[in-house]
Amino acid sequence: MSVVSAFLVPGNPLPVLKPAVPAWGDLAQAMRKAGLALAASRPDAVLVYSTQWIAVLDQLWITRRHTTGVHVDENWYEFGDLPFDIHADEKVAAACVEACPKNGVHARGVDYDGFPIDSGTIAVSGLLGIGGADRPLVIGSNNVYHNGEVTEKLAALARDCAAAQGKRVAVVGVGGLSGSVFRTEIDPATDHFASAEEDRWNRRVLKVMEEGDVEQLRKITPEYAGAARVDMGFKHLHWILGALDGAFRGAHVHGYGPLYGSGAAVVEFKI
Amino acid sequence: MSQGEIIAGFLAPHPPHLVYGENPAQNEPKSQGGWEPLRWAYERARAALEEMRPDVLLVHSPHWMTSVGHHFLGVERLSGKSVDPIFPNLFRYDFSLNVDVELAEACAEEGRKAGLVTKMMRNPNFRVDYGTITTLHMIRPQWDIPVVGISANNSPYYLNTEEGLGEMDVLGRATLAAIRKTGRRAVLLASNTLSHWHFHEEPAIPEDMSKEHPQSMAGYQWDMRMIELMRKGHMKEVFELLPKFIVEAFAEVKSGAFTWMHAAMGYPQVPAELYGYGTVIGTGNAVMCWDMRNARGPAPVHRGAAERSSALAV
Repeated sequence: MSVVSAFLVPGNPLPVLKPAVPAWGDLAQAMRKAGLALAASRPDAVLVYSTQWIAVLDQLWITRRHTTGVHVDENWYEFGDLPFDIHADEKVAAACVEACPKNGVHARGVDYDGFPIDSGTIAVSGLLGIGGADRPLVIGSNNVYHNGEVTEKLAALARDCAAAQGKRVAVVGVGGLSGSVFRTEIDPATDHFASAEEDRWNRRVLKVMEEGDVEQLRKITPEYAGAARVDMGFKHLHWILGALDGAFRGAHVHGYGPLYGSGAAVVEFKI
Repeated sequence: MSQGEIIAGFLAPHPPHLVYGENPAQNEPKSQGGWEPLRWAYERARAALEEMRPDVLLVHSPHWMTSVGHHFLGVERLSGKSVDPIFPNLFRYDFSLNVDVELAEACAEEGRKAGLVTKMMRNPNFRVDYGTITTLHMIRPQWDIPVVGISANNSPYYLNTEEGLGEMDVLGRATLAAIRKTGRRAVLLASNTLSHWHFHEEPAIPEDMSKEHPQSMAGYQWDMRMIELMRKGHMKEVFELLPKFIVEAFAEVKSGAFTWMHAAMGYPQVPAELYGYGTVIGTGNAVMCWDMRNARGPAPVHRGAAERSSALAV
């Protein structure tokens, strides 16, 4: 298979913006470890799906070869800027745009100076060490009207487009776990899960991942998504499942912790 | 310093298509026009605003969504290129705006006193959202009036509509208190679409108006019902219907700008001027004005708003 590694990582930029906060720094460190594993798998490109790149019309793909700039998160601007320098595999992305209609999905390429690449993609690129010229990204948007099934198809489509060009890929789903957050300002040093029940749910789901029980994972995901307010219904997991043809042997959790009350994990899948 | 006042409130929706259709120098992509009835509606709104000569424009935008509190632009001058993440083919706009930081800080302070979490955005590299920019461009393309930009806290979505709009009501009352204390003559802009059902695919030529129409009959009928009530000044009924409208028409007023604006104005029972209505990718958009100079008198602003806030919380 052309997929050489797969990862689930949080898209909240707090770990990169404030690594001095223990819980957030631990997640940043976990992502750096995952990045080493990703690099060791020697992909030619990285298929990235971030829950924070929202689309409502069509399926969008970044087709601009090189994008640089300074991004400021709309919520966490007080903690600083997110400079970025991201290379995309525009050939694979263009192939994805072309292939989408054959799968019943309208698609468009995004090749504009100043396009606001989302906080999640930027934060993750830095920590995982991806998005350089040696490991360019294939970035697909999160169309809010696409369900998990469509998301899986899009990931499989991207993988196949890369394979058709002889490229090995890593796959990265960028998004959170449980979604309850603190709605008032907290001392970051005291960050913890906003809901103990959601924390239990997260741990249960991570255990199922570690066991490689995909059938059980698929079975509990809908209930988990509702009960724990999971980020975008856990479509970022579907992105990974789609690229992996719904099969993995297990997973290693590099890190798990709170991000302003929500749940976040860094997971490397055994494929 | 004399006591400040709200001169008017505008319903001022923000489809970037309107900027694209107008072809201003600041916007990189160029069009063959399109959405003229809405753009002509904004021309009338611009003329009304010119005549009002406010000190400041306050805009509440659903495309600056925040989770911890209600945020205010707090940098005196912000500039840059705003590329719409959803419609990058239509909106790549070079903006430069001046912020009335003193009023923004007063709004934040009054909000805090009223029990809200508020924050000042002080990062000079912040990219102002396209909703704020589109509304401001369409209402005042000269960009010569200072602004206060206000985020849409996600409470109507994270909590529920009633609780969320209850917060917007408190925010509106706090905004009025700040305007009064700072002596500003202010115009409020609610950057909201009405019915928000939309098409999921874009035409090959976005400005091909042969493809433009309401996405749903139900959404259109809801819009007409609400607009007619607004034109008659039956705002009490509008707010009674608002939760149902939000559900059945997927109305963007859920994000809070409309409630914020009317709470600040004390829910005036005055007829709104409709400048025009039109659809954009199927959504319903109305440009309307509540001229508070027509509503002079001892309006029971705080008391009325508080009562409404209680009603919303039920």
